[in-house]
Amino acid sequence: MKLEIKNVAKAYKNKKVVNNFNMEMRTGECVGLIGPNGAGKSTLIKMIADIIKPDNGEIILNGTKITNMKKEIGYLPQYPAFYNWMTAKETLEFMGQLSCVKKAELTLRIPEILRKVGLHGAQNDKVGTFSGGMKQRLGIAQALLHKPSLVIMDEPVSALDPIGRREVLNIIQDIKKETTILFSTHILNDAEEICERFVVMKEGLKLEDTTTSQLIYRQNEDRLSLELATNDLVWIDIVKTLPYVKEVKVMGKRLEIMVENLSNNKKQLLSNAIEHNVDIMRFEIRRDTLEEIFLKMVVSE
Amino acid sequence: MNAGILLIKKEFVQMARDLRMVWLPIVFILLGCTQPIITYYLPTILEALGGGQGITIDSSAISQEGGEVLASTLGSQFDQLGIIILVVALMGIIQSDKSNGMLAFILTRPVSISSYLFGKVVSNYIVVVLSVTIGFFVSYLYVNSLFTMVPFSHFLIALLLYLLWVLFLVAFTLMISAIFRSQGIIALISIIFLTGCRIIVNFIPAIDVINPASLSKHASEVLATGTFNTSVIIIVFVEFIWILVLFSITNYWISLKKIDYD
Repeated sequence: MKLEIKNVAKAYKNKKVVNNFNMEMRTGECVGLIGPNGAGKSTLIKMIADIIKPDNGEIILNGTKITNMKKEIGYLPQYPAFYNWMTAKETLEFMGQLSCVKKAELTLRIPEILRKVGLHGAQNDKVGTFSGGMKQRLGIAQALLHKPSLVIMDEPVSALDPIGRREVLNIIQDIKKETTILFSTHILNDAEEICERFVVMKEGLKLEDTTTSQLIYRQNEDRLSLELATNDLVWIDIVKTLPYVKEVKVMGKRLEIMVENLSNNKKQLLSNAIEHNVDIMRFEIRRDTLEEIFLKMVVSE
Repeated sequence: MNAGILLIKKEFVQMARDLRMVWLPIVFILLGCTQPIITYYLPTILEALGGGQGITIDSSAISQEGGEVLASTLGSQFDQLGIIILVVALMGIIQSDKSNGMLAFILTRPVSISSYLFGKVVSNYIVVVLSVTIGFFVSYLYVNSLFTMVPFSHFLIALLLYLLWVLFLVAFTLMISAIFRSQGIIALISIIFLTGCRIIVNFIPAIDVINPASLSKHASEVLATGTFNTSVIIIVFVEFIWILVLFSITNYWISLKKIDYD
């Protein structure tokens, strides 16, 4: 499986929502598309699902235009639509048949997939009676039913309460082993939890395409964080004069110290502190959380 | 076309569950028997109400031929209240799928727009045809027992002509339902346009050939006069062209992917 997004652009009333977007994906990957609201995530996902036509560029799956590859795509919209008068089982039968799955295969697949998303107890209930979390899980079930080679999900957990969110995240963790997943979210913890690769979008442009570890490694400056038992102003002044210290930020009893070379300088700083008999509560290497990195990336530009 | 048949099945289940398959025929049965019964009992009603002081009612003078009464079932019942009811029943045919995202969702599957429309039109048209036919047949039975006999062949020709006009009605409402977002607007435009067409038939016979509603007038004429004007064949032909044009516009409109509203 190979998904290629080439120079895709889309504008609504002269406002560029997606701007020359390029990306590639291969089998087994799980890619999180992250960005603030209005970054163009949904529009991009809808273009991959072939709901919206791009103004420019093309989206190609396994060498064929996406329009002719609908069988290979499982799509979960942000608000999955169902017929309220159908039962969960009927919904999957209907959706499965639309995707050209044989009836005999469906009778085997449906109970299996309902068990996987935890809805087997509700298979004969009307969809109209389902909660948001249940609908989302049914949405995942329909997206996986025809064994697509690529599953795309638009904000799969954003509209759910913490319990529903947890349920859905666990299911995605589970299905990730078998399929290739592309999903959008503005909640970073979710993306961090599920996927290895991130594509960061802002105002229709691709800002970053990287892995979790790379992102954290690259964006980090060498910083030490200290917490002192008392506000030792004398020592702080000494630290400021040290040759390898670039900057010191004081926040009450907490210090953030930027040094030239973390691995060498941390020992020097620690021994310096012991020399001056400083009462240290905590001494650690400080790393930005993904959220801080994301905020820096998205807000700064 | 496999998807089309699947969608037809789905529509039937839906129409059975929301009881449209029950109420639509009932409404047309009521419309169908109204005209013969009212016409038959009108003299009695007028007499009983006593508003006829100084008016002599000669029941034999106003007795109508069966064919005329059956023709006015089409003209006065089906083409007035009937159109409104059909439009109201059909106004959500695409709009409801569009507004809740189901249309976009279905089209992410390997389903072509034409098979989607095929499924919608065939299933809904079948139910409408059944309703109109049953209603008209009930009217036919009443007319035969209360007035003079109408030959069954006249009934059948009139019905077929009328059903073609109804197909135009279905296709037009389908198109409007695909284009507009609000059910109220859809109903308003469809009702005004369709009843407008029907009214124009009486005033501007010159454009009969291109007026889709003229088939309804010709159906009435077959019943009232018993003659079949051969020029109707051209009108039937034009009607089919109209219907094809409406389907193509609907298909094209949906293919523009204006189905997404977020």
